[in-house]
Amino acid sequence: MGVLSALFAGLFAVATVVLVGGLAYKIRLYAMAPAPLKIPTTPAPTTRGGVALRLAREVLIFESLFRANKWIWAFGLVFHAALLMVLVRHLRYFTEPVWAWVVLAQPFGVYAGFAMVAGLLGLWARRILVPRIRYISALSDHLMLALILAIAASGLMMRFVARTDIVALKAFFLGLMRLELRPIPADPILLVHLGLVAVLMIVFPFSKLLHAPGVFFSPTRNQVDNPREHRHLAPWAARLEAQGARK
Amino acid sequence: MAYQYNGHTIEHDEEGYLTDISLWSPELALEIAKGENIEMTEERWEVVNFLRSYYDEYQVAPAIRVLTKALAKSMGPAKGNNDYLYELFPYGPAKQACKIAGLPKPTGCV
Amino acid sequence: MAEVRDFIVTKEAADPLELPKLACGAMAASKPFVAKAEHQAPLGFPGELVPNWQEKAIAKLGDLLTKYRSLQVYLDACVKCGACTDKCHYFLGTGDPKNMPVARQDLLRKVYRRYFTVAGKYFPWLVGAEDLTEEVLKEWYSYFHQCSQCRRCSVYCPYGIDTAEISMAAREIMDTVGMGQKYSNEIIGKVFKVGNNLGLPAKAIRSTLDGLEEEIKEETGLDVRLPLDVKGAEVMLVTPSADLFAEPHIQGLMGYAKVFHQAGVSWTLSTYASEAANFAMFIGSYENMREIALRIRRAALDLGVKRLVFGECGHAWRVAYSFLNTLAGPFDFLDSRYPVPQHICEFTYDLMRAGRITFDKSMNDQYRVTFHDSCNVSRASRMGSEPGGQFEIPRAILRAACNHYFDMAPDTIREHTLCCGGGGGLLTDDLIDLRTKGAQPRMRALQQVAADHGVTHMAAICAICKAQFTKVLPAYGFKMSSVLSVHQLVSNAIVLDGSIQARALAEQATGASADREAQ
Repeated sequence: MGVLSALFAGLFAVATVVLVGGLAYKIRLYAMAPAPLKIPTTPAPTTRGGVALRLAREVLIFESLFRANKWIWAFGLVFHAALLMVLVRHLRYFTEPVWAWVVLAQPFGVYAGFAMVAGLLGLWARRILVPRIRYISALSDHLMLALILAIAASGLMMRFVARTDIVALKAFFLGLMRLELRPIPADPILLVHLGLVAVLMIVFPFSKLLHAPGVFFSPTRNQVDNPREHRHLAPWAARLEAQGARK
Repeated sequence: MAYQYNGHTIEHDEEGYLTDISLWSPELALEIAKGENIEMTEERWEVVNFLRSYYDEYQVAPAIRVLTKALAKSMGPAKGNNDYLYELFPYGPAKQACKIAGLPKPTGCV
Repeated sequence: MAEVRDFIVTKEAADPLELPKLACGAMAASKPFVAKAEHQAPLGFPGELVPNWQEKAIAKLGDLLTKYRSLQVYLDACVKCGACTDKCHYFLGTGDPKNMPVARQDLLRKVYRRYFTVAGKYFPWLVGAEDLTEEVLKEWYSYFHQCSQCRRCSVYCPYGIDTAEISMAAREIMDTVGMGQKYSNEIIGKVFKVGNNLGLPAKAIRSTLDGLEEEIKEETGLDVRLPLDVKGAEVMLVTPSADLFAEPHIQGLMGYAKVFHQAGVSWTLSTYASEAANFAMFIGSYENMREIALRIRRAALDLGVKRLVFGECGHAWRVAYSFLNTLAGPFDFLDSRYPVPQHICEFTYDLMRAGRITFDKSMNDQYRVTFHDSCNVSRASRMGSEPGGQFEIPRAILRAACNHYFDMAPDTIREHTLCCGGGGGLLTDDLIDLRTKGAQPRMRALQQVAADHGVTHMAAICAICKAQFTKVLPAYGFKMSSVLSVHQLVSNAIVLDGSIQARALAEQATGASADREAQ
């Protein structure tokens, strides 16, 4: 029991460090790389407020995807919205006392688990059945779907098939957050669920899941359309300018 | 890549334009035209000759409009138009006729 | 309705966006001529493939990753959702899956992953990472010259991934190792040497302009000038050199001249900056793009002009509108009451709104017109003060100058517009097969509007579009002359003050009012 708890405590510590450190590294990389030219996909907003709205629409309702393909949009939105609900629901295992709004979201979170699975299956079906998407899929694209699907399925099993000792689990995580080791329930489904979550956390900064921070740094989406009014100059372009013309 | 005729070997680029435009001669024009499946009629010679004299003066091929106006002057309005030029040189007066006239290929958005 | 029917209407026009069957490798053999040493040297690139090209290419990719946030983010962020897979006109026209935007990006992404990511370094088989081999380089050369950088894919990508950014980077890497494209690089060299893509010297330009002045004089009875290198003019017009050479481009230039004349604004062309096009954008070379842009700045300073106006050219307007201030600014020496630069359509539109242009629309009655939105204008720039002005302003001009105007299908115009098939440095004879196939979606949209509304002609505001359509229209049952310049239609219909046309109209009007009085 002690070994298992220590193992998972260690796993989650590593996963958290990799996730946070990896994301911080990548975000820093994106933030540091200059965008030397104004390249918003037009028509684009002409104010910063407009850009914030554009990004909000991209992130909240997947505006561009909606225009591209209604099926991908529907499955994608269902999956992401459900994932958000499920994550909110899971906050109760990490907070004491549980925040009121988390309590309110609790019943929806359960159904969201099913919606998440439905969205994922829809996306996976397209990846297998649509020749164009099958062509562009690498092994990792299938495995990513499998991983998240397995996490969702194991989670749902604990709710509807074989419940785990949730009180003990919460104690384990609350303890972990204070750097104290508490026993973890030695429940196979739970351990699979947690193990896969840790894998997902570790894989995150090395995978296409970087689309999550990436969308905020996308110059075609986050730039203001005002190149005639404001001169835009990247630092390396300014150095080039200081050297003078070549000819 | 070269044109061979009467014992001459004249180099050209991958599209058939002369590498050294000073090596052009009327005989070579016939040779190039053969490769393009173009029979050098009097009208076609008129175009080729105009292109060459224009090039001599301006160091570049003339605008299509300049060419058609010149032809309208010498051959009459029925032949001084774009459609007739394309009848003469199906791959375009600027490109095909320039090739036969031994001029460099016009480059750019044309 | 007019008699002229410059096209063949197919009975049942096919869907412009119809999905092709996947045809793997269908376009693998398509590739443009490779630049020779003499084309590479003026741009600062090696003349042939360097011996350590692999090492150099990877180093260049690493360099670009630190210089372009777009590249870094776009190579990471793609989730292979498939939203872009049916958006590229070259895919729709060829069925080659490597012409799906994501698959094109993957050609570079697999190398990026192999050398720059943990996953690709240790588990290449898992994430589709690959070594940069000669095979891959060949594939790059072929398929990155099957992208016209039209940005249609970027409209639909949930992360805004722009394949143009990827193909520009790939071309710059290839240039750096000595594998440049002849068409673009030879042309850039000509701009450095002579001042324009065509290599037109001042004497030839002046002679052509003289001819146009004569022609306008015959037509209108007025001395409408087309000035060159005139110091102290108010406006410097920067226009693609094709406007001085090709059809229907040159009719557009006559239209600009008439508009300037009617506006009463003094203007001039410049020999030194006799080119609006900036092909260095196509090869992703910031340095070369800046060299070309600086010519415009120097010419403006030298001639002492107050305003910059750009003629009809798609990617040139992108470079002008979006990049010029960055590359060659600040333009604080110009008149700050006007945007720098302005598009000729903005200029004409402003004059229209001020009530200073009269059109005799009947002069264009032989045309039933539609408008082809050029990609770079639509998705990479703006006209006017409102987003989307790039769609409204040219249409407002066409509607004012023509009685019969009809849009093509909504999913093929405005920001959804389809490339002509010849943009991005692909307008070269060695790629004519690709160009003809890539034009298919646009041509089908034209066939549709021709069938539905009897449209006979398509107007465009891009030199590349015009030249490309002239070449490919016949393959789709249209006459090559069915493409027009927007300012050609302006030129036909504008009634200049004091012109023969103005007098005729005035006589008509007094005749009509006399008739009314008589009744």
